[in-house]
Amino acid sequence: MDEAITLESLQAQLTAQQATFEMHQSMNVEVFYWWCTAIMIMIHAGFLAYEMGASRSKNALAAGIKNILALAVIIPTFYLFGWWIYNAFPGGLIPTDASAALPWAASMGPDVTDMGTGIFWAAFALFGATTGSILSGAVIERIRVSAFLILTVFLGSAIWILAGAWGWHPDGWLLTDLGYHDVGASGVVHAVAGFFTLGVLINLGARKGKFIDGVAQTIAPHSLPMTLIGLMMIIFGFFGFLGGCIIFNGGETGWTTIYNTPTNLSAFAFNTLMGFAGGIIGCYIATRDPFWTMSGGLVGIISVAAGLDLYSPSLAFMIATCMGFAAVAFAKLLEKQGIDDAVGAVAVHGFTGFVAVILVGVFAGGTPNVGGNPDITLYGQTLSAVIMAAVGFLPGYAISLVLKKANALRVPEAAEDLGIDEVEILAKPYPEANTPASFESEVPNKLAGDAA
Amino acid sequence: MGTSITTWEGVSAYFTFADSPIMLMLFALGAAGIVIGLIASIIKHENEAFEDHK
Repeated sequence: MDEAITLESLQAQLTAQQATFEMHQSMNVEVFYWWCTAIMIMIHAGFLAYEMGASRSKNALAAGIKNILALAVIIPTFYLFGWWIYNAFPGGLIPTDASAALPWAASMGPDVTDMGTGIFWAAFALFGATTGSILSGAVIERIRVSAFLILTVFLGSAIWILAGAWGWHPDGWLLTDLGYHDVGASGVVHAVAGFFTLGVLINLGARKGKFIDGVAQTIAPHSLPMTLIGLMMIIFGFFGFLGGCIIFNGGETGWTTIYNTPTNLSAFAFNTLMGFAGGIIGCYIATRDPFWTMSGGLVGIISVAAGLDLYSPSLAFMIATCMGFAAVAFAKLLEKQGIDDAVGAVAVHGFTGFVAVILVGVFAGGTPNVGGNPDITLYGQTLSAVIMAAVGFLPGYAISLVLKKANALRVPEAAEDLGIDEVEILAKPYPEANTPASFESEVPNKLAGDAA
Repeated sequence: MGTSITTWEGVSAYFTFADSPIMLMLFALGAAGIVIGLIASIIKHENEAFEDHK
């Protein structure tokens, strides 16, 4: 005979179903961030292709080995101290107790009751690797691999994540004091990395032959097609990056921003794609140059990333188009100042990320936060953008200056002439080809304009 | 030797030496040593390579 259905048995069934539902919800969270992390690896495949292509053939492998080793050092150092920095410093420069994020904590390893820590750590580690790699392209063809790795560990596993603790954390002081809003990390990743890169470039100096009598010369990529494909791969990877920026909550809450305000992937989808398209158009009209046209896709996404959840898609499109022009103008300005940024990283990431943070204050000022945090304001966004730039620039300049003083920043002139692949890498990118390298190119320098 | 559990009943963290922070600290130091060693080895290799191509 069947067991009689009682209120108690129904309650037990409901409790069991609830437990099953919650377990599957936790698994869905893990699955979502697992694939975001995997997709972010494509950013690094893109950086690899992009920077090898942007180098002359004599330096192609040296550029690539930097990208590969950057991942290899940022991942363990982010495990050793990056995750702890994020959890310990939301209040400023005085650490709070974050012992659970130390590498000897029980929560920092396989745990059947913890379906969050590892997957969030992984996503953040890849954010860190992306940040550390933004520096990589700007310094190609003359930085020592060892110096780059030291710099990228600081940038990818310490500096940006300190900015992240301040401005990309539900308890970060920039949010609690200024109402800071930067959902897609325009400030905490791109502005920080871009201005860190500027600090390094000042000490590193230009590639030999880049400036002749103060006039910028074109040092043409040895494979522009590889560079373009690499950039498109970065765009693909950005969907993992931006997916990782949204919070997949359990229970009835659903998606939120990292600031606990409501949003969803549909909002991100509208503005990511519209920003991508707008940036391409702006950079194309400004330069007619394939490299900058494709870089424009990045400019466009970064320019709207901070307000990805707030903008009207048409507004995002217009912001991105305008920022395409502005980023090119900023790159020209930097070059006129004698800064040799081989891939435009300072303009594409630093300048664009900086302005993107301010634009949230311009176009979305007054938007409320939750949990008693102040509203978004132009003042709060502008001050925060300045803080992001300073957090990036000051350590980038200081650490690279120390390396320069120790004669450990730049390869010797003879190695630069011969090519770093020949001297250090012990392999040739195209062993059956005979591709002479030259300091001067017949290709006109579009960025230099009339001065070239 | 390094397991932190003897049964799966009531288990949370179960990885090797999860119950031994001293061992985990030593592993963390070892991991840090590998990263530092990598960079040191690259500096040595670069110095030798640059010396050979003066």
